Amino acid sequence: MAKLPADLSKLTEEQRLELEEKLKKMPPEELKQLQEQQCIFCQIISGKVPSKQIYEDKSCLVILDINPAAKGHLLLLPKPHYAIMPQIPEKEIKHLFLVSKALSQVLLKSLNVDGTTIFAANGLAAGQRAQHFILHLIPRKSGDGVLDLPERIIPQDIIEKVKGAVESKLNELLGVRNENMAVAVQEEPLPKPKEEKFTTSSAAKRYHKEKCAFAQNIPEDKKVILTKEEVMASGKEPCTCVTGKRIPLKNKSKAKLNTTEEPAKKIELKKPIETKSKIKKEAGASLDDIAGLFK
Amino acid sequence: MKCEYCEIIERKDKAQILYEDNDALIILKDLVAIPGQITVIPKQHFTILEMVPDSILNKCVVLAQKVGAAVFDSLSAEGTNLLIQNGLGAGQKVPHFAIEVIPRRDGDGLNFQWPPKPLAEDEIDFVYTLLKEEGEKIVIGKDESKSEQEKNKNSKKEEKGVITATAGETEIKLKKEGDNYLLKSLKRVP
Repeated sequence: MAKLPADLSKLTEEQRLELEEKLKKMPPEELKQLQEQQCIFCQIISGKVPSKQIYEDKSCLVILDINPAAKGHLLLLPKPHYAIMPQIPEKEIKHLFLVSKALSQVLLKSLNVDGTTIFAANGLAAGQRAQHFILHLIPRKSGDGVLDLPERIIPQDIIEKVKGAVESKLNELLGVRNENMAVAVQEEPLPKPKEEKFTTSSAAKRYHKEKCAFAQNIPEDKKVILTKEEVMASGKEPCTCVTGKRIPLKNKSKAKLNTTEEPAKKIELKKPIETKSKIKKEAGASLDDIAGLFK
Repeated sequence: MKCEYCEIIERKDKAQILYEDNDALIILKDLVAIPGQITVIPKQHFTILEMVPDSILNKCVVLAQKVGAAVFDSLSAEGTNLLIQNGLGAGQKVPHFAIEVIPRRDGDGLNFQWPPKPLAEDEIDFVYTLLKEEGEKIVIGKDESKSEQEKNKNSKKEEKGVITATAGETEIKLKKEGDNYLLKSLKRVP
């Protein structure tokens, strides 16, 4: 594995550029390993660097900040190395906040403070100084001047602009289907039945789709295949497989039918999630670049 | 007077709503630190973090994480801050739990740096022992992890091996911590 020079500040401009180039070409796994190797918080987690630990479990470590904003300022560290919040898996981020909730309660109870602030910075521009994601938990007292946000009123037209910019991306990430998309989905299957062919028996009153169990039960010599127009002209009635209520399946009891329906529903539900994870990966790639700024 | 966020939840025209489900809302307020600031609130009224049930907190956190990821692309933010002001003394303006996601860019005029507060050695030691003791008592999401394990047991056989392994680890860890805690309390007995 590649190793970084011991003192990065002593590099010349040329060497620095060369190093940046090298980092860009590096495979993600190796880059991650390198980041971990360089990360002071990973060394704290592994115990190589001493710290004052308040709480520890399988996936996170909580320590006292050595440069605190207030007495009892805590740092919550996820044990695996993540540079910024969007890289952290849902399960871990949930856990991290449950820990912060429990510890916030501890701070309120045992330190006699007026409140707590939970704060995280993602990216240099947000004031992140370490390359390991940290959730700050700061005990607060009225008028301590920590993280006082200057607030102002934003005009409606700017708010609407923000809404327009964020909404679609957010829906994408949340797996929410846009109304327009739903309409498009409905429109698509409509022209299809025209080309579809239906199966019926010369003697039968109903017509079926090809896959319908009833259609498959029709003896080959009596089987008639009709186009939609021909079916309409024949005066036969549609089976439930055509009207879309239920597709009768061969040799299956009702109970089994239910089970076959369920997975179909699940797949529908899973679809947005699949796209979500894909997007996450894409976002993760560009976010890795941001994370790379800390190099 | 009614809670400002509850009013938004009741009367949807009071703020721009980005997302809504049974438990939570993502909104754009008009009084913010910077345009693009997005707020995630639970629908039910909880004043502070400690009152929010685990399941709803989980949901809000996941939403906030997605919002954070969304603003990188859509608002071309270079970073984000995530902020929960918990209690009036922490600068909480509306008595309704909220997670603020603040998109950041270089030179946007916001500064979240706090003045460091150097502490004396004995003060640090005092806080450390005090919090350490409390920290050891913490049990996170006891019920949830149980139900999750049950779920996992019902799922595929292949996964079973992994799960039992991790369960073993936690058991060992719990035992270790339990021993330490007992030893310590034993020492404390006069």
